[in-house]
Amino acid sequence: MLLIPAIDLKDGKCVRLRQGRMEDATVFSDDPVAVAKRWVDAGARRLHLVDLNGAFEGKPVNRAAIEAICRAFPELPIQVGGGIREEETVEAYLEVGVQYVIIGTKAVSAPHFVQDLCLNFPGHIIVGLDAKEGKVAVDGWSKLSKHNVIDLAQHFEDDGVSAIVYTDIGRDGMMSGVNVEATVRLAEAVQIPIIASGGITNLEDIRKLCEVTDSGITAAITGRAIYEGTLDFAEGQRLADELCG
Amino acid sequence: MSSVAVIDYGMGNLHSVAKALEHTGCVDRVVVTHEAELIRRADRVVLPGVGAIRDCMTELRRLHLDELVHEVVQTKPFLGVCVGMQALMEWSAENDGTPGLGLFPGRVEYFGAELRDPHTGASLKVPHMGWNQVHQRGEHPLWKGIAQDTRFYFVHSYCVQPADAPFVAASATHGVTFAAVVARGNIFATQFHPEKSHTAGLALYANFLRWDGQS
Repeated sequence: MLLIPAIDLKDGKCVRLRQGRMEDATVFSDDPVAVAKRWVDAGARRLHLVDLNGAFEGKPVNRAAIEAICRAFPELPIQVGGGIREEETVEAYLEVGVQYVIIGTKAVSAPHFVQDLCLNFPGHIIVGLDAKEGKVAVDGWSKLSKHNVIDLAQHFEDDGVSAIVYTDIGRDGMMSGVNVEATVRLAEAVQIPIIASGGITNLEDIRKLCEVTDSGITAAITGRAIYEGTLDFAEGQRLADELCG
Repeated sequence: MSSVAVIDYGMGNLHSVAKALEHTGCVDRVVVTHEAELIRRADRVVLPGVGAIRDCMTELRRLHLDELVHEVVQTKPFLGVCVGMQALMEWSAENDGTPGLGLFPGRVEYFGAELRDPHTGASLKVPHMGWNQVHQRGEHPLWKGIAQDTRFYFVHSYCVQPADAPFVAASATHGVTFAAVVARGNIFATQFHPEKSHTAGLALYANFLRWDGQS
């Protein structure tokens, strides 16, 4: 199982949010490339970059920082989410070396968008489904829709997405543990990889996810825990490699 | 109608590879897929690869594409690119040691933290990134129209050894001399990225798309 450090970008700086609220942001660093380097040096084999301004505004805002990270680590697979709502944006990100783009809000509001992207950029499209109690949230999590997360995941699997990032909003940034049951339920409903996100606090959470990795949970994104030190990234990835290769 | 399958196992720069293949004008259909049947049906197969080899091998195995690769290399022209070439070796030193598909008796080694130019002593950067001369060894249909020592684009921290093995179709040097291309039968694999190598790269892809697998 791959452990993926998250770097959330707001106004060019690296921040962490609590429960996805922009007003509740802690600034960690004003040097995104240095932060990326920290995780690469610790053994990260993929990075998850979120353009927070983009997620709320509906268009990329932190492109410069993302590009700088791609240039600094040309061999590193990077996945980017936040405000990706146009095909040109996807193309531009792939050109600078981003490996996957994560479509959030627009995947739900305009279902054909993902289908078209999968046709034009096969192998590069991931859909991010953020849910609270099984219902999908959109617009940077400011709105809760009436869509059921499993139904949507199966629909996107049919479109040809490479993976689903599943974030449990209630757990994100709160370090209260992973919602393993909900993530496994989703993983079992589809064949494509599920990337778990939200709530990873320590090695125990990694152990729990490795126990169920066969359901299709191939990776886990971690944010606050590695920045606050309740999880040592290198140790976490080593454990994940040991337990589930 | 001619077709080429680009294996999608979640670890390749598929878009640029697929675009480059299309751009040659030498194939009717480029199919990007991990589905065994679609790959089997294609006339030729490309295995791309970027990122950590450990994760590439894990995904190949998870999708049973390791078995499929062993199967298709027996009958179709097969092209490996970058980590897609390294994966064909027996073993890589990357990620605390990663076994590969074992199609070539070679190993993949780190360039080294203190890489130096043996002539000048100048320290060299890792990853090896940028244009570098590819020294062809012997004839091969995929070199058609590509001059000796043409430059191709590389970006890698690990390289294939030994550089003088019989299966090495071309070498390159970045502090150390390494295998830039390995070839055997209907398999041809490059460490460099043809899709990032402008005209020379397109020529190589075009030659591959016209290749019947005989060498």
